[in-house]
Amino acid sequence: MRTLIFCLLVWPLTALAQAPVIEISGANFRPLPIAVPLPQALNDGARTVSGDFDDAFFFDCSAAGIFQVLDRKSYLADAREGFTASTITFSRWADVGAEALVKVQISVDGRDLRGEMRLFTVASGKEELRLVHVSPLDQPRRLAHFFADALYRQFTREPGPFQSHLAFVRRAGKGKDVYLGDWDGKKATPVAQGSINLLPVVGPQGDTVAFTSYRSGKPALYVQRAGGAPVSLVSSGAMVTGASFSPDGKRLAYSMAQGEGAQIYVADSGGSNPQPLTDTPYFINSSPTWSPDGRRIAFVSNRAGTPQLYVLTVANPKDVRRITFQGNYNQTPDWSPRGDLIAFTARDERNAFDLFTVNVETGKVTRLTQDQGNNQEPSFSPNGRLIVFSSNRTGTSMLWVMTAEGQNQKMLPLEKGEYSTPDWGP
Amino acid sequence: MTPAVAAAPVSLLARRPEGPLGRFLFWSALVHAVLFSLAVVWARLHEGPEIDLTQKPIKATLVRQGTPRDEKLLPRIEEAPPAPATPKPPEPVTVAPPTPAPPKPRPLEKQPDSRQKLMGAFDRVSKSKPDLTGAADGDPNGDAAVAEGEAYYARLRSQIQRFYDVSQTIPDAERIRLVAQVAIVISPSGQLERARLAKSSGNDLFDSAVLAAVKRAAPFSPPPTHLRDPLQKYGVVLMFRP
Repeated sequence: MRTLIFCLLVWPLTALAQAPVIEISGANFRPLPIAVPLPQALNDGARTVSGDFDDAFFFDCSAAGIFQVLDRKSYLADAREGFTASTITFSRWADVGAEALVKVQISVDGRDLRGEMRLFTVASGKEELRLVHVSPLDQPRRLAHFFADALYRQFTREPGPFQSHLAFVRRAGKGKDVYLGDWDGKKATPVAQGSINLLPVVGPQGDTVAFTSYRSGKPALYVQRAGGAPVSLVSSGAMVTGASFSPDGKRLAYSMAQGEGAQIYVADSGGSNPQPLTDTPYFINSSPTWSPDGRRIAFVSNRAGTPQLYVLTVANPKDVRRITFQGNYNQTPDWSPRGDLIAFTARDERNAFDLFTVNVETGKVTRLTQDQGNNQEPSFSPNGRLIVFSSNRTGTSMLWVMTAEGQNQKMLPLEKGEYSTPDWGP
Repeated sequence: MTPAVAAAPVSLLARRPEGPLGRFLFWSALVHAVLFSLAVVWARLHEGPEIDLTQKPIKATLVRQGTPRDEKLLPRIEEAPPAPATPKPPEPVTVAPPTPAPPKPRPLEKQPDSRQKLMGAFDRVSKSKPDLTGAADGDPNGDAAVAEGEAYYARLRSQIQRFYDVSQTIPDAERIRLVAQVAIVISPSGQLERARLAKSSGNDLFDSAVLAAVKRAAPFSPPPTHLRDPLQKYGVVLMFRP
């Protein structure tokens, strides 16, 4: 009995006492290395669309900012490997450094495209997520964006931004056309053509675009659905620019010229009942952007001499606060849907245009781009985690996407052209 | 004389008729099991997200001496310090002296440049503080290690830390609680003989990152004489926290 007690209690303690314990902390955190092999097309119809699907899915995963998508050329696993945890050789995936693996199978099911996505953790070989979704056969990209959103949500428990829409302007000869498409600029249909159309804003339902147009001679605000006719919102005779819908879609803010200056107005979403919010007759107030709670508006004003960012409270417009004190040319503010940051374009002391964010509470300015050509006109994704902007670093002005901290900058897969003023909306 | 019948000794181990105690114990065990499984199910359903997007790594930077930037100017992104040269594993042949004498701090200066490169960018920091006592290739984070055993463990720690990459998909709430223990056994020549997860942290990503860090950091420098036996027999346990 006594030997039993000794064996049970004392002996294990002696073993533990021998090995010293060294504490190691301070890990280097980095994005999750994930492997995204080509999707498996199970029948001929699916094979024709798998290219489109793969382009969209792969780009979504690369641009998400939380993944480090491993180069497909480095994959060692057999391309004909199975789809279930028991048929996948996880050691080959671990060898290329993957910590997660996403496999997709697509097949044509009558008039629909059916996709199944499975997510595996490579270290444990466990299947973490299995998802089946159906989309119309002519919309493989829609299926891809759905899966990318689901993958994003799986890891972050936040909604993904990949099923939203992007409005942008593309030069067309002497004029500029407004387009509305998927978040990555693909499947974009022209909304407003002819004349010069600028500063598009995606409408609250994601299917309309409000924009400023010179078609009547003076700039005026219109809203239009793709394929529909333009509806005039505000055309009071004076110059009106920069429409911005409130987050609940019920109100519209814009800037209207008045004498020597321009003032910020708020109207109903149909353009009726306009109320002025600023009252500086000799200064220009423009580019309004709403806070996510709809209570405040950030805008650009040169009342202090140079264009700077200000914030006013809609209920009490006299409550105006300046928020940028650095730089002498700050423009195009966009308030993050998360409410903490406002992204803006600024010209620095080297005369380069770059993107910055200012924290609304603390006023801290963070730089996002540097020494990469001119980068302008930022627009936050609906979940506030990504920013789309225009950049001429490649020679022509193209649209790019990056994380809200300025990491992982990727060019959107658009055809060659001159693109500007993107707006990322629902 | 006591009546023998009333005081008949009954063995405590003999079966007795089941009283209410038996039923009570059964129901108590059942209720405990149900509560326990409910708690487990609740915990699984309320698992925090694997990637916490609000968690930003803490960047601690030392301000370099110079004229401050004009406050009115927009900020510039600091250039990242040059990455340390790709660390090559130290060749045990050249590092370990052929005799069993333990390597003293002085002879370490004669080691090949690969060892200096291993210390990477920290070299510049350590060279700029010449008045601190310590080994020439000492870790600036380390305390002034006198005994060789401690110096060896400190070197071990700094070498593993160089490869200690963890996926940032682990949320802050979980990071605080994660502790993994890896038991390793090091041969007298510094090779990693065995590495096993002695205590899992509960998070697969963290466990695999920790094991990978240890395996990539190997081989280590050969341990000093008085540590060789303990390291080979019992090894050392590394306790990792994020």
